[in-house]
Amino acid sequence: MAAVTAEAKRKKLEQTNPDYNPDVVVETQNLTKVYRDFWGRQKVRALNALDLDVRKGEIFGLLGPNGSGKSTTIKLLLGLLFPTSGRALVFGKNADEVTKNERIGYLPEESYLYRFLNAEETLDFYGRLFDMPPKVRRERSRLLIEKVGLQHARRRQLREYSKGMVRRIGLAQALINDPDLIMLDEPTSGLDPLGTREMKDMILDLKAQGKTVIMCSHLLADVQDVCDRIAILYQGELKELGRVDSLLKISDETQVRFKGIPAAAHDEIRQVIERHGGEVLSMENPRTNLEELFLDIVRESQARPGHRSERARN
Amino acid sequence: MVVENFPNVLEWLRSGFGTFLILLLSGAVLGTVFGFLVATWRHGPVEGFYSVAGVIAAAPGDFLGTSFRRIGAIARLSIKEALRRRVILVTFAIFAALLLFGGWYLTNVEHPERVYINFVMWGTQLLVLLVGLLISAFSLPEDIRNRTIFTVVTKPVRATEIVIGRIVGFGALVTALLAIMALLSYVFVWRGLSHSHLLVGDTQTVAALEAVDPVQKLNPQGGRTSDNAVRAGSTTAEAGHRHDVEIIEDVRDPGGPQPIDQGNILSKETRADGKLVYRRVIVLPAAGHTHAATVSGPAGSESIGLGNSAGYFRARRPVYADLLQVYDTDGLEGQGTDVGREWRYRMYIDGGNATDPETLAKAEFQYSGLRPERFDPGETVILELTLAVFRTYLGNIQKRVLASIQLESIPADPQNEPRLQSEPILFETSEMQIQPLPVNRRLSGRRIAPDGTILESGVYGLFEDFASGPDKRIKVVLRCEDKNQYIGVSRADIYFRASDDWFAWNFAKGFLGIWAQMIIVVAIGVALSTVLSAPVTIICSLVLFLVGFATPFIRGLLDPTAEGGGPIESLIRILSQENMVVSLETTWFTTLMERMDDLLLAGLNSLTWLAPSFRDLDFSRFLTWGYSVSGDRLAVAILISLAFCFGASVFGYFCLKTREIAGQT
Repeated sequence: MAAVTAEAKRKKLEQTNPDYNPDVVVETQNLTKVYRDFWGRQKVRALNALDLDVRKGEIFGLLGPNGSGKSTTIKLLLGLLFPTSGRALVFGKNADEVTKNERIGYLPEESYLYRFLNAEETLDFYGRLFDMPPKVRRERSRLLIEKVGLQHARRRQLREYSKGMVRRIGLAQALINDPDLIMLDEPTSGLDPLGTREMKDMILDLKAQGKTVIMCSHLLADVQDVCDRIAILYQGELKELGRVDSLLKISDETQVRFKGIPAAAHDEIRQVIERHGGEVLSMENPRTNLEELFLDIVRESQARPGHRSERARN
Repeated sequence: MVVENFPNVLEWLRSGFGTFLILLLSGAVLGTVFGFLVATWRHGPVEGFYSVAGVIAAAPGDFLGTSFRRIGAIARLSIKEALRRRVILVTFAIFAALLLFGGWYLTNVEHPERVYINFVMWGTQLLVLLVGLLISAFSLPEDIRNRTIFTVVTKPVRATEIVIGRIVGFGALVTALLAIMALLSYVFVWRGLSHSHLLVGDTQTVAALEAVDPVQKLNPQGGRTSDNAVRAGSTTAEAGHRHDVEIIEDVRDPGGPQPIDQGNILSKETRADGKLVYRRVIVLPAAGHTHAATVSGPAGSESIGLGNSAGYFRARRPVYADLLQVYDTDGLEGQGTDVGREWRYRMYIDGGNATDPETLAKAEFQYSGLRPERFDPGETVILELTLAVFRTYLGNIQKRVLASIQLESIPADPQNEPRLQSEPILFETSEMQIQPLPVNRRLSGRRIAPDGTILESGVYGLFEDFASGPDKRIKVVLRCEDKNQYIGVSRADIYFRASDDWFAWNFAKGFLGIWAQMIIVVAIGVALSTVLSAPVTIICSLVLFLVGFATPFIRGLLDPTAEGGGPIESLIRILSQENMVVSLETTWFTTLMERMDDLLLAGLNSLTWLAPSFRDLDFSRFLTWGYSVSGDRLAVAILISLAFCFGASVFGYFCLKTREIAGQT
């Protein structure tokens, strides 16, 4: 039964994705994870018969509410968990093989780092784990610390870091080996809007370098902004899979934005639409979102310190 | 001190390596079967087979892919992490407190050095093993609990590296701790025992010593003086003891050897017969040590100074007998006379009741490798004896039992070649003590033909004439010269004392023994913590170590020749209320039972090898009794610890590899 549904899902997957790419980085086949207690009694079916392909160079988002199996999927892909049945392949290798880790970068849910190390020591330690020679380690560390903007705190122990800083150094350690595949577990959790934006920019930057990114999140806006394709999980089941733009497109509605015409013209436009049998759903001044507003204010304050924002006064 | 027969490294390796391989092999088989059973329980037999096969197939690659840089990284991290825990600091505090205040309670007038050394060895061992266990048992479980391990295992880190890196890191850390503790201990023992005395009297000159009556030979305290003493006195009491001080007349041939110690000579005269007479100040040993006396100042009013305590710290290097044979009064070789329970370790020789010494029971010790360069220069060579005495009558209990030794050469062909035999050296045995017996390097004796006729008599050299052949072999014959008394001997009871080992190095060797134990503790702690939580790891390790401390006893229980048989037979005997020593009726049932018992005992016996036998690694008894730890023992201890590290690494690898790191724990 499971095999049949898997086959059906694969067909659906191919149909919904016109630009099918055989260059598959991650593949799961009928991947199932059941948590059991010590005596082998079933407790939770965390993931049920998941079939996924992630292709080279895309940003793939795993979406779902808490407990839907996003983190379980990532942990299965990393070999941190063993599948109850089915297979998880990364670069064509079984997920429990160590050698695949050479090309993977992983940012865990909360950056589980050694809090008694400072930023440089942290990156040096993880660099050693990749068997990198000292010179390469130093160079990579310097570059990454600069990239995530922690130059001012490179010698401070991580225990003194704010949550955002820990997140940044977490990303830096995930990139220490210049990985081809980066797995991000809730990359923006705990970050302020500015940090979130920087994180998103960095993810897009990775894509521009030709890297493959898998991220899971329940912050829908983040996923929408950066992901090429998403899978939506609910209670361990794959509910939806496809390209973000095609999934979100409302094909029977059209949005028009214009500026510089008087309010009187509004009625005219409304009449034109009605004449064509259409229905006006809304016609209003667009709002910027809070993120944009916040970022604008921050940028302005950085440009003119000590002044209250011009926009806020209006 | 009882010294067991100890093989050299190669002999040990021959049997030890076999045991190691058997354990490794049976561990591999049991591990595979266990893994298969668990996998079958989880996934069914087919999937289970494949998952076990997959783990085994991946192992060689993982072992070969092990990188020193990654091990180094994990080791460094472990050290930093352990230092953060402050366990080390607390340990130092406790150790410092022990050393600061321990000295107040260490009072033993007889042998203070034994108490001191025992105390520091015991304290260090306890603390270091505890620290090793704590830091190794908590590390990995904490790492998994904090999930910091996630960022490590998602790098190309092999499970071997996680285990070995920890063993190396903690090992290095605790080694440093142990080294510092050893240094502090050495200073503590040395400082704690060093003291000096003054002479009792108005001045620190010859006048403080009273003239000795040449007939009575009594010192001012009422004790006997040495035979050649002319003046005697005493020192002040320090550290709970005082020494007798004497001025002796040392008579020498002008052409012969002169005194080595020149600092204590008061005067030198030539006697009427042409011999040289030295008057020397000597301090008699008390409480296991003595002091060097120095004479200074103008003649007639020389002042006598006593130096620092010397002779506490010894590292005797015994030359034990290779062979001990005991002959009874009829000249037949045997096990000696059975004197009851004591008999098991020592064999007892009979003092006899005949007056002809040739019919007395005797014990023959055969030695080899008696080369002069192994011994301190001097006129004598020291034989040390630790004999036991069994008295059939008390008689004068103050009077000790009389015994004699005779040195003999061992000709290559005893049937045709003559042998050398020295005059018997008579001595009184002191029981329960290490008794030094100086033997002259030149001995009067005779050359005896194989048929017993005396060919010649004369003075022969111990090393030149007695110790003959390429192996430099010699025989010591011991007889009990007191009628109806018995002397107990074991192979280690009479040994030649070669020149001492350097005490500081011996002290270091004692701590290397602790080091070997500590490495085993760390390895076992890390290995068990790959699969158990920290508290359970600690409990399991402690049980292993308890078994380890008691292995000789447990192996004794598992001896199939013990009375009452193996576990099943014993149970049946208890239930049927059979006597332990009555043999059971031979039926198919008892045969089956015995076979099963044999199997069970063999299995249990091999299990005892899993527990580290800490007695083999504990050298504190050598240090406290002042013996050098032989290089063979040290090498074996280090080999044992390395074997445990290897076993622990393999065990830890498979446990960690098959463990779901992110699984719900």
